[in-house]
Amino acid sequence: MGIISKIINWSRLKSPWVLHFNTGACNACDIEIIAALTPRYDLERFGVVLKATPRHADVLLCSGPVTKQIESRLLRIYEQMSEPKFVVAVGTCACSGGVFNGCYNVAGGINSVIPVSAYIPGCPASPKAIIDGVVKLLQSLEAKPKSKRPGGKK
Amino acid sequence: MLKALFHILIFPGLSFLFVFGFFAEYVDRKLYARLQNRIGPPWFQPLADFIKLISKQEIIPEEADNNVFKLMPLLALAASSVAILYIPISGERSVFSFNGDVIVVLYLLTIPTFAYFLGGWYSRSVYSMIGAVRSLTQLFAYEVPLFLCILASAMLADTWSLSGIAAFYNQHIGYWFCNIIGFVVALICLLGKLEKVPFDIPEAETEIVAGSFTEYNGRLLAFIRMSFNVEMVVGASLLAAVFLPFGLNLAPAGVLICYLIQVLIIIVAISFLRTLFARLRLDQMINFCWKYLAPLAFLQVLFNLTLKVVLPR
Repeated sequence: MGIISKIINWSRLKSPWVLHFNTGACNACDIEIIAALTPRYDLERFGVVLKATPRHADVLLCSGPVTKQIESRLLRIYEQMSEPKFVVAVGTCACSGGVFNGCYNVAGGINSVIPVSAYIPGCPASPKAIIDGVVKLLQSLEAKPKSKRPGGKK
Repeated sequence: MLKALFHILIFPGLSFLFVFGFFAEYVDRKLYARLQNRIGPPWFQPLADFIKLISKQEIIPEEADNNVFKLMPLLALAASSVAILYIPISGERSVFSFNGDVIVVLYLLTIPTFAYFLGGWYSRSVYSMIGAVRSLTQLFAYEVPLFLCILASAMLADTWSLSGIAAFYNQHIGYWFCNIIGFVVALICLLGKLEKVPFDIPEAETEIVAGSFTEYNGRLLAFIRMSFNVEMVVGASLLAAVFLPFGLNLAPAGVLICYLIQVLIIIVAISFLRTLFARLRLDQMINFCWKYLAPLAFLQVLFNLTLKVVLPR
């Protein structure tokens, strides 16, 4: 299992396809995620491509606190993705629920519903911070090729 | 036997097509990025995507028809790979050549579209069904002009074999200019066949998620992407053989280099067109194809028929 798993790991590092999902954000983080995918930052040079369907994606970019209404949908989208899959929480609300934590309609941060691989705080997280977070996630993947969800906890 | 295996697996067959397909996808994506003022993906990007998809877990939706869902990507890949055996790429003769292989190649290139239709239809997802129906509707728009243009060129050459057409235009360079309308129309139709941007209606990601391929993932998606790349190479080779038949009387290596350059020219043209235009609606696309492309293709047929009578052989 030497060289083949190395090649597979390399290919995973070089082509992370992302799916953007709004779990109840105020749209600020979503705008920043879209900004990170524009030609200004050109994420395609790292192999990042925005995909529209969870079936094609490797990385789920979630923004916003998980509202009670969207909880089951988030879980469903997560289950539709095929392994290996990673979840990135973008923005303070996604990391912990932020100022909405404890609201009657909010279930909490992303990690209260599905396991999260990387946390990117910020209100909103800037495109540079998002790129930095994804790069760090990939680096942690490089260090531990066998673990499926590196950095499960912060 | 060994020679046939070599042809199927290595030279104009699978290995060559895979490598050239990856290269074509890279050229396409890189040019697209450069024209948008981006840096674009590195050279190994298509390979990394392919390996990653192959090694991913495979999920088949419960509602989908298991056999059709699994079979269709392979059928698409197989049909488009077989077509290269009839196209003259390394000399005046293709590997298997007979009188009438133009028709065979055209129909082999139609099979992937049907495979995408069936795969999408049997995914039983609303988005993939819409995408599947759109890809079939689109087929009826671009297929007629494409066939007419290529057959018009065959008519002038007075042969139904691709090798014969290539050899004829190679001997009579002057006749090449007669087919310019046909070349332009066929290039636009090729965009429809490859579902590239002005005609990427079947997989319009802003409307219907990913069209026919919404439910595909893992290995099957890798095969679909590969079959698109192979289709791009084979379609470009077909146009190169019919409309750009230059340098066929060089040494074997020279012929191959000439062929690669011709195919690259067509791929570059495709990426330029893809950058220039935005997506059309389905009805606009069909109107455009039947109002402008089909009459132009008919004009080419009439023109070639007249030429055949007027010009000396």
